Amino acid sequence: MIPNRDLGRFADRLRLRAVRMVAPHGFGYLGQVLSSAELFAALYARHYRPDTDRIVISPGHYIIAAFAAAAEIGQLDEALLETYGHDGSRLEAIGTEKSPAVDLTGGSLSQGLSGACGFALALKMAGNTDSRVFAFISDGELEEGQLWEAALFAAHNKLDNLTVLLDANDSQVDGPVSSITTLEPIAAKWESFGWAAFDVDGHDADAVDGALGQAVQAGRPAVVIGRTSTVHGLSVLPEGADGHFIKLPEELAEAAVAELEARLA
Amino acid sequence: MRNRPYATVLKPYGQALVDLARERTEIVCLTGDLTRQCEIDLFQDMFPERFIHAGMAEANMVSMAGALARCGHIPFVHSFGVFSTRRPLDQIVNSVAYPNLPVRIVGFMPGVSSPGGPSHQAIEDVAPMRAIPNMTVVDVADAVEIRKALPAIVDHPGPVYLRLKRGEIPVIFDDDHEFSMTRAQIIKEGDEASILANGMMLSAAIAAAEALDAGGVSTRVVNVPVIKPLDSGTVLDVARRSKLVVTAENHTIVGGLGSAVAEVMAEAGIGCPLRRIGLRDTFAEGARTAPPLFKKYKLGTQDIIDAVWSALSRPGAAPAAPVVDAAPGEYAPV
Repeated sequence: MIPNRDLGRFADRLRLRAVRMVAPHGFGYLGQVLSSAELFAALYARHYRPDTDRIVISPGHYIIAAFAAAAEIGQLDEALLETYGHDGSRLEAIGTEKSPAVDLTGGSLSQGLSGACGFALALKMAGNTDSRVFAFISDGELEEGQLWEAALFAAHNKLDNLTVLLDANDSQVDGPVSSITTLEPIAAKWESFGWAAFDVDGHDADAVDGALGQAVQAGRPAVVIGRTSTVHGLSVLPEGADGHFIKLPEELAEAAVAELEARLA
Repeated sequence: MRNRPYATVLKPYGQALVDLARERTEIVCLTGDLTRQCEIDLFQDMFPERFIHAGMAEANMVSMAGALARCGHIPFVHSFGVFSTRRPLDQIVNSVAYPNLPVRIVGFMPGVSSPGGPSHQAIEDVAPMRAIPNMTVVDVADAVEIRKALPAIVDHPGPVYLRLKRGEIPVIFDDDHEFSMTRAQIIKEGDEASILANGMMLSAAIAAAEALDAGGVSTRVVNVPVIKPLDSGTVLDVARRSKLVVTAENHTIVGGLGSAVAEVMAEAGIGCPLRRIGLRDTFAEGARTAPPLFKKYKLGTQDIIDAVWSALSRPGAAPAAPVVDAAPGEYAPV
């Protein structure tokens, strides 16, 4: 099914798919894929089972990464990726109810973890001990109170079938998250809420894979925090590119494709 | 219809939900820490495995309810009306209404029925709920209607906001009362004025109509428990057969029943005058008990009578609202 399970190459293929999805528009949510590529690679290649598990992409701006990853594992027709962000496409740029290949996403941030709690609870009520819920969230979402409501609920209700993958890319619309709200120590916050927390280099796909393996076995809700950058893995980007919404004019897109194709060759 | 003062019962909603949940195993019950006050201690005792305590965290509670609905459950989400609509508004929109999920949001203690001040008085909850696409909005009048409404609500497509009085619930309708999600109900005929009311204002509308009839103004009363989708057919039918339409709601006149009726009448080009009884774009206040607030904010039987009398330019003093002494455990409208 998957031609090459080597996680680093999987991540670069996500980057390449994302560049091609964003290029026709000249700008878009490419930084989200650059930061989360290894996180999605580890999750989709090694842990998430589409027919068994539930997947939540809480920040809808990351749906581009989920689409690319779903295409990579054959869960989504890759021809559809070309329609991303175009009028009338199901693949809207910010995730909606129409978004294929995920169980829940949305553009109003921080609601996804609550939805994941609902899924985890429903699995337990149904006596389903095989399926898991994976929730992808971002560090900016930690500024919203609802996220911590959900974190409290998950721990109190012992939702050990819930695993969170957190992209700590230190990026939000107005600039670095750390310049706007001090979230650190992120891992200690989750631990103090009753979660198992694993803090790893989010661009080391094997480290993410290992942490996800431990998280799934933690016996309580667990979070894998990946430390990442929104410009990782694409050296052609100009200095100071806005990672939340990267401008990708034609020449830059061509250079990006060339860089990634060369690395994947 | 029964007579004032009305007998009251306790926990008709909580009992109806338990009765329904016995057969409907998809029903799950969520609470935001007002379990007894929302009458769902009965559910907690009877079906603990389907009872979810979300804590004082309404945003999380509503988004979780959306996900539970996606898994085939029918979640009933409970709090006071202020907390179940104001705090999780974005969650109601994005996690429930936009995906059109069968989540039932229950808000107790409507309007000025709470003497707890503006933080506890859901005076504008109907307005935002009405404005949200896919949402159905229901404000029931008594214990019989609650019992009849629940089986209709449970299978209604999409989300529902249900507004419920807290505490002693009057029994106004006879046991054979029929509740419809699509039809408003003319409960008393009359050919001059039509009073359209719901929830806690229905009993005041009935009392006002009787006094107006005795004073020479033939008055019709229409019960409109479903504010959205509004039964515009019945509204237009009675408006065309009236010299005056009066709406009465335990809510601000902005965005609720009065607004809904005004929109329908205006679009149909019905020129008959309209008066809206409700809070006039103001917050209320805390008090020892609720009845003085109904009086102060002109939500009483006399206020309805006066509105009809003056709008029809009747000479002389308006008829006085009937005085009914309600013993403890009985209910009469202000």
